[in-house]
Amino acid sequence: MSGEIVKLKGSRVGLQLVFKPGVDFEEIRDDIQRKLEEGSRFFRRGTVIQIAPGILSEENEGILRKLFHQHGVLFRVEEPMEAPLPQPKETPKKGAPPPPEEKEEKPAEVPKAVPVAEEPQMLVINRTVRGGQEIKTQGSVMICGNVNPGAQIIAGGSIDVRGTCKGMVHAGAYGDITAVVVADRLMPTQIRIADRIAQSPEKMEKPTVAERASIKDGKIVIEPIERQEIRA
Amino acid sequence: MSEVIVITSGKGGVGKTTTTANLGVGLAIRGKKVVLIDTDTGLRNLDLLLGLERRIVYTLVDVVQKRVNYGQALVRHKKYTNLFLLPTSQVADKTAIEPAQMLELVEAMKSEFDYILIDCPAGIEQGYETAVIGADWAIVVTMPEISAVRDADKIIGRLQASNKKIKLVVNRIRPQMVKDGTMLDMTSIDDILSVECIGQVPDDEKVVDSANRGVPVVEWKDSAAGDAYRDIVGRVCGEEIPFKPFETEGFWTRLKHVFGR
Repeated sequence: MSGEIVKLKGSRVGLQLVFKPGVDFEEIRDDIQRKLEEGSRFFRRGTVIQIAPGILSEENEGILRKLFHQHGVLFRVEEPMEAPLPQPKETPKKGAPPPPEEKEEKPAEVPKAVPVAEEPQMLVINRTVRGGQEIKTQGSVMICGNVNPGAQIIAGGSIDVRGTCKGMVHAGAYGDITAVVVADRLMPTQIRIADRIAQSPEKMEKPTVAERASIKDGKIVIEPIERQEIRA
Repeated sequence: MSEVIVITSGKGGVGKTTTTANLGVGLAIRGKKVVLIDTDTGLRNLDLLLGLERRIVYTLVDVVQKRVNYGQALVRHKKYTNLFLLPTSQVADKTAIEPAQMLELVEAMKSEFDYILIDCPAGIEQGYETAVIGADWAIVVTMPEISAVRDADKIIGRLQASNKKIKLVVNRIRPQMVKDGTMLDMTSIDDILSVECIGQVPDDEKVVDSANRGVPVVEWKDSAAGDAYRDIVGRVCGEEIPFKPFETEGFWTRLKHVFGR
C-alpha cells in the first residue's frame, strides 16, 4: 500500500474500497476525484465499488456516493459478502438462522440511504436493435450487436455499442451530462447527450476505429478511442 | 413434413406476390404439393400472376367464416395439378380474418401439403399478423433501395421478436447500377439486415410480361429473373447453390443501345 491513499481490493460483487490508515477524509476524497477525472482504468463506468459500513461517517459516505455517481460508478456501503446481495429486510424476523442476524442488520439500513431510482444499472442487449425498435433504460446499456437506422436507444447513463451504431442514441436522458456514447463504428443519425443534440453530417464515412461521444465545453464532441472489437 | 413459409416485406411493390408465385410454381415443377394462400384481402393479385382469376369461386374469407371448407375454395393450377391457390376476397377488408382463424386453417392444411406459402400484404397492421402467425419461417423480400431496406429491417425485427427464422430475397437488382455504384450492393444490404440471403433477383422486363400473361418467369427458359427464382426454389429445398455473378452490359450491348435509339 506504499504511497497509495486509496486502494481497491477485488471482491466477488465488485471492488472493495480500502484507505491508508490515518489519512483524513479530505485527502481521500481529493485522491478519488483526481483518479476519476483522469479517467484512469482505476474506476470504470458501471463498476460497483463497496465500502464496509462504519469506516466513514454517513455524511462522508454521501459525498463519495455523489462523486462516484457523477462518473457512472456504483457506490455501495455494505459488508464484503460472499453471497449475492441485499437480503430482504424481513428475513431475520421470519426466523432465519440466528447467527447472521447481526451482520445483516447493517446492510439492511443501506437501501434507505440509496434510493432505487438513483442506482444505475447496466442493461445488456445481446442482439441487433432494428428499425422501429426502442431500448429504454434508467441506467447504462451495452448492445452486443448493431443499432440499425430507425432504432432508438434511450439511457439514463451511457451507451456502448459493440457493433455499428446507425440509429438514434440518447445517453444521459435524465440529465447526466457526464454520460457518453461509445461504438465500434459510431455513425448515428443523431446523438443526444442530456439536453444536447448533435446531428450527423450529410455524408458520413465509415469510421475505422471505435469512437466516443461526450459533452465537452457544452458541446457534443466525438473522439477516437482504442479498444478491441468483439466480433459476432 | 409440411413447411409453412410466409413471404413478407413491409414495403409494398418490392415483389412479394411475384416471389410467392414463382416459388410456388418452382416447387410444383419439382413435384411438391403446394398451396399458395393470398392474405392481401381487398388487394389480391396472386391469382392474376398465376392466371387463375376466372376460376375463383370461394375465398379465404368464406373459409375462415366457415361458409365452406378449404377444399372447396382451393383453385387448382391449369398446368401443374399439384399446385393450388387459396385466393382471398377482393371486396372484404383485412379485418375479416382474425389471426387465430388463420392459424387454425394453416394447422388444418399442414397434413395435406408439402409447402404452404403465405403471401403477406404490405404494412404491419392486422393483415401482417394474420399472414405471419401460422408460418414456420419467413422470406423477407426487399429491393436495393434505402426505403425498402429500412422497412425490411423493421419487419425482420418483428419476426425475430416472434422467434421466426428469416431468409432474405433481394429483388429487382440492376447489375449495371450496382457496378456503377449508384445502387446499394449486397454488402451494404447485408451490413444492415445481416440475415441469410437465399436469392438475388435481377430486374427483368420479362417479369412484367409474365404478370400480364399469368405465367411466372420461373417457367421461362430465357429469363435472368427466372434463373434466379429457380435457384431460390433449390435453396428452399435445402440445396447448396452458389450465387452466380450477374451479367452486366458489355461494350457491344451498350453500343447496340446507342445505335438503337
